[in-house]
Amino acid sequence: MTRIVWRVAFALVVLGIWQAAGSLWGDEWISRPTLVAARIVELARTGLAGHIATTLSEIALGLLIGVPLGTLTGILLGRTRLLSSLLRPVIVAANSVPIVALAPLLIMWFGLGLAPKIALVALVSYFLLFFNTYSGVTTIDDDLIDGLRLMGANRREILRKVVLPATMPWVLSGLKSALPYALIAATVGEMMLARDGLGFLVTQFAGQYDMTGVYAALVVLMILGVLIAELAARTEAWMLRWRTVAGE
Amino acid sequence: MIELAGVSKEFQTRGKRTRALDPVDISVSEHEFVALLGPSGCGKSTVLNMVAGLLAPTTGKVSYRGTPVAGPNGRVGYMTQKDTLLPWRTVADNVGIALELQCRAVTPAQRRERVAQALDLVGLTGFDAHFPAELSGGMRKRAALARMLVYEPETLLLDEPFGALDAQLKIVMHQELLRLTRLRGMTVLFVTHDLSEAIALADRILVFSGRPGHIRSSHAVPFGPDRDVLTVQFEPAFAALYQELWTELKPEIEAPEPRP
Repeated sequence: MTRIVWRVAFALVVLGIWQAAGSLWGDEWISRPTLVAARIVELARTGLAGHIATTLSEIALGLLIGVPLGTLTGILLGRTRLLSSLLRPVIVAANSVPIVALAPLLIMWFGLGLAPKIALVALVSYFLLFFNTYSGVTTIDDDLIDGLRLMGANRREILRKVVLPATMPWVLSGLKSALPYALIAATVGEMMLARDGLGFLVTQFAGQYDMTGVYAALVVLMILGVLIAELAARTEAWMLRWRTVAGE
Repeated sequence: MIELAGVSKEFQTRGKRTRALDPVDISVSEHEFVALLGPSGCGKSTVLNMVAGLLAPTTGKVSYRGTPVAGPNGRVGYMTQKDTLLPWRTVADNVGIALELQCRAVTPAQRRERVAQALDLVGLTGFDAHFPAELSGGMRKRAALARMLVYEPETLLLDEPFGALDAQLKIVMHQELLRLTRLRGMTVLFVTHDLSEAIALADRILVFSGRPGHIRSSHAVPFGPDRDVLTVQFEPAFAALYQELWTELKPEIEAPEPRP
């Protein structure tokens, strides 16, 4: 309880300094918390929800493509040595291209709508999920698999009862790190070329030298990021109850 | 029932071939309890791995009920020093896992019943909903034992299964193991470096020496199947056999480890 009080107090102090600095040197570059708050309220009345929905749906659809594909190739390559020696170098090479640099290419391919941003989110999450799942599959204790094989389990049963559950924590931690990156990817895509979305708001306001607008959009992005991270952490903790128990 | 004829094993590590096991001949008949006794690193575990079908011999032939072992041998239950319980499954789900497999499918009700029986057998009733990480080392061992017994394999391969247990618990586990294997007419290959354990449990003891491992001698244990693990220790025949085995193993233990 006291910790919360301290945190609130600290936040108020920071906001107070910002407010004071804004009043002292003028708000044209650094704006003021009160102005930003007023702008957020105003934006909320004029279609902020639509921008948030755009960004969130880009993230959701991108993850819906990237996460299953990354997990699947991770398991496939992790379990098949030949495939891994063939394809893993290709994936490693592809991953070393800074994803942001692909944005112009994707926009040319997919146009101005949601598609290029979805592709960007899908790519980012694909690589994160692939590498996590792959490490998970290749570090499974062989004794666990042998134990089940001696009971007479076939390949499918070993996959279902050992490989998948053992890889689960890795997939979840991949997902957890993919979420903030997905937000980055979607925003970057929107900043390049878009008609809506939070990234578009930032560039639009910046283009008009409207600092209060830029800060308002950034604050909304921050809140979104925190909520997403929190959601991911809670989901992971719930899915991995058996590991929390182990930590006690 | 289990036959190893001229079986040897070499391992390739970093380009160097090391011989883990010189050619050995072992024959185990049905319902027999055979202990493989020897210092660590003498190839005892390698023998078990080959009978289980997890390792192929470099030379010689391993056969089980007359057919050569190729690939995992589904008729054996294997328990190693390390328990291989799945950490994300509760004790009950771990113990019952063999009964979920297609090759031994039973109805969920039957599975629950047999799991409860097995847990009762090893004294873990009431711990069915715990995760392995919540159990002590000894309890995990017992859960692993229950998991192996629940599907009633005809042969048990045990690799120092009770190595990490304290002395009292070890005796309890010995009694349980002996009772169960006799009751169900199981065949057992038991690897240990503990002389008393070998004498207390086995019908026959094969003394290994290393390295590379080979069989030094074979000893019949003069106690019947209805022995009491606890009192048998005080019999003169126990002490005599202990002495005999110790004399054989002593040079092994005192000899400096050969540097690779």
